[in-house]
Amino acid sequence: MRVLAKPVARLVEELSRLPGIGPKTASRLTFYLLRAPKEQAQALSQAIGELQEKIVTCEICYNITEASPCPICRNEERDRSLLCVVEEPLDVIAIERTGYKGLYHVLGGVISPMEGIGPENLKIAQLLRRLESEPVKEVILATNPSLEGESTAMYIRRLLSSSPVKVTRIAHGLPVGGDLEYADQVTLTRALEGRREM
Amino acid sequence: MRLKHLSLTNFRNYFRLELGLPPHITLLQGGNAQGKTNLLEAIYYLSAATSPHAEADRQLINWGAWEEDLPFARLTTDIDGGSLRRLEITLLPSPQGSLRKEIRINGVKRRVADLLGRLKVVIFLPDDVGLIAGSPSPRRRYLNALISQVDRAYPRALQEYERVLLQRNYLLRRLREGGDLSQLEFWDERLVERGSQIIAARLRAVSGLNALAQEIHLHLTGGEEDLRLFYRSSLPLEEGARSPYQLPLDMLHHPASQMLQPQLPAEEIANLFHQRLRERRRQEIERGVTLVGPHRDDLRFFIGGMDLTIYGSRGQQRTCALSLKLAQVELVRAETGEEPILLLDDVMSELDPARREYLLASIEGQEQVIITATELAPFPSDFLKGAALFRIVEGRIEPFSLPN
Repeated sequence: MRVLAKPVARLVEELSRLPGIGPKTASRLTFYLLRAPKEQAQALSQAIGELQEKIVTCEICYNITEASPCPICRNEERDRSLLCVVEEPLDVIAIERTGYKGLYHVLGGVISPMEGIGPENLKIAQLLRRLESEPVKEVILATNPSLEGESTAMYIRRLLSSSPVKVTRIAHGLPVGGDLEYADQVTLTRALEGRREM
Repeated sequence: MRLKHLSLTNFRNYFRLELGLPPHITLLQGGNAQGKTNLLEAIYYLSAATSPHAEADRQLINWGAWEEDLPFARLTTDIDGGSLRRLEITLLPSPQGSLRKEIRINGVKRRVADLLGRLKVVIFLPDDVGLIAGSPSPRRRYLNALISQVDRAYPRALQEYERVLLQRNYLLRRLREGGDLSQLEFWDERLVERGSQIIAARLRAVSGLNALAQEIHLHLTGGEEDLRLFYRSSLPLEEGARSPYQLPLDMLHHPASQMLQPQLPAEEIANLFHQRLRERRRQEIERGVTLVGPHRDDLRFFIGGMDLTIYGSRGQQRTCALSLKLAQVELVRAETGEEPILLLDDVMSELDPARREYLLASIEGQEQVIITATELAPFPSDFLKGAALFRIVEGRIEPFSLPN
């Protein structure tokens, strides 16, 4: 026996596919939208509809953008000798907030044999081609400090070992405002390894 | 350390339990299927975030709770002594069908790796004998659980090792179809790094256990049996020790005195590990699985050169299991300086009078011991006088006293 009307059940099902949303939240959102002003529901559906249609991948850095090349790649003010390699477009936003002025390269994931993702599934060959044609002097590997992120960083570093480009890795260690006492052993060990003279 | 209070909600057959626990000896008496084992399991779970039995976690939540909108089970304990004051684990079903564990230490949300090693517990189970007699994987599980209680870095190393192993096995299977072999380099490096840390910790623990178990076992057997523990590795550890010692293929012809366990530092183990990986690489790719490392190792028990797992009598294996557990109590105390809580699940009925007596004598002075039993008969009356007595009936626990 179906308790919910079909359109309601369908939206609940679609919403609960989203990350971080379980069946309960999905029903709450659905019933909220059911009672919300029509314009609000329409605006949402329009925004979702446009999302995939109007977004393209930048042909240079593989970040998501409305028009390729993306504004960062087109920006003449940016430091073209610096190239920051990240996993996902969200990482670009995070690094942009630091005031970083170089360019980016978005890999579109990390090497994870478990999920069937090898180097050929990432934008690694494209990275090598960029380095041949662009005046990059330093590549900053800013993949996450996870096992898979480290594995990807190390793979790229090895590919670039014969290239004249300088390869750096972002530092690991203690979070700013953190407390030594509460840091776990692995983090502290990394922080000690990455210490620097001052 | 000791538990002052235990409360359970929807855990196994306990809908709701509030139980104050006294120091020293607590004896819980009850018939079969009344909840004796479940109570000890709950305490063990608060220490290890896993059941001592290798079965599905889902059954930990009371069957009645599954009828409710939001089924869950909660275990909470208040602890006396030290910085650990309160532990709480909430079990919630996750969409993937397994259980999600929410852990709070002193009220603060923590990860499983932070929990391990906080509450020190040694559990004695009727099927401990299976640890000696059975296949290697329960023995590895046992060693892992034991070392996690005495070495705070161990659970994390183990967790990372298991993840690396999983990724590496997938990669080996991909490489079987062809591909860039250099992709293995990173995973090999990590496998060796974590793997040698694990083996070094295990060698250290086995060496400690060996000395303690040997002495206990001599007492238990009236000086007759010389028990030796041996960590049998998939790496040629004895080559690294550069001693004339050879891995005894046929232990029967080796006097026990030759059973020396090489003690190697992690760097030395790492060298051997790398070397073995190089030798096995082709085979590993062919079979698509990692063939060397701590996940293939084993712990073995010998008496006069005889491997108890294969040749031991049931009685010998049972005594060996008891020696091992009593040695574990000593090891936890020696390594951490804390008194572990002892949980004895109906073990008296399995033992002969001499071993019972030894066991009761060894637990006498402990800070906290919780024993379950179907009958009071195996316990001497002096022992019962010194114990707090409870009766378990269908998940309810009431104190009782003996008629004079």
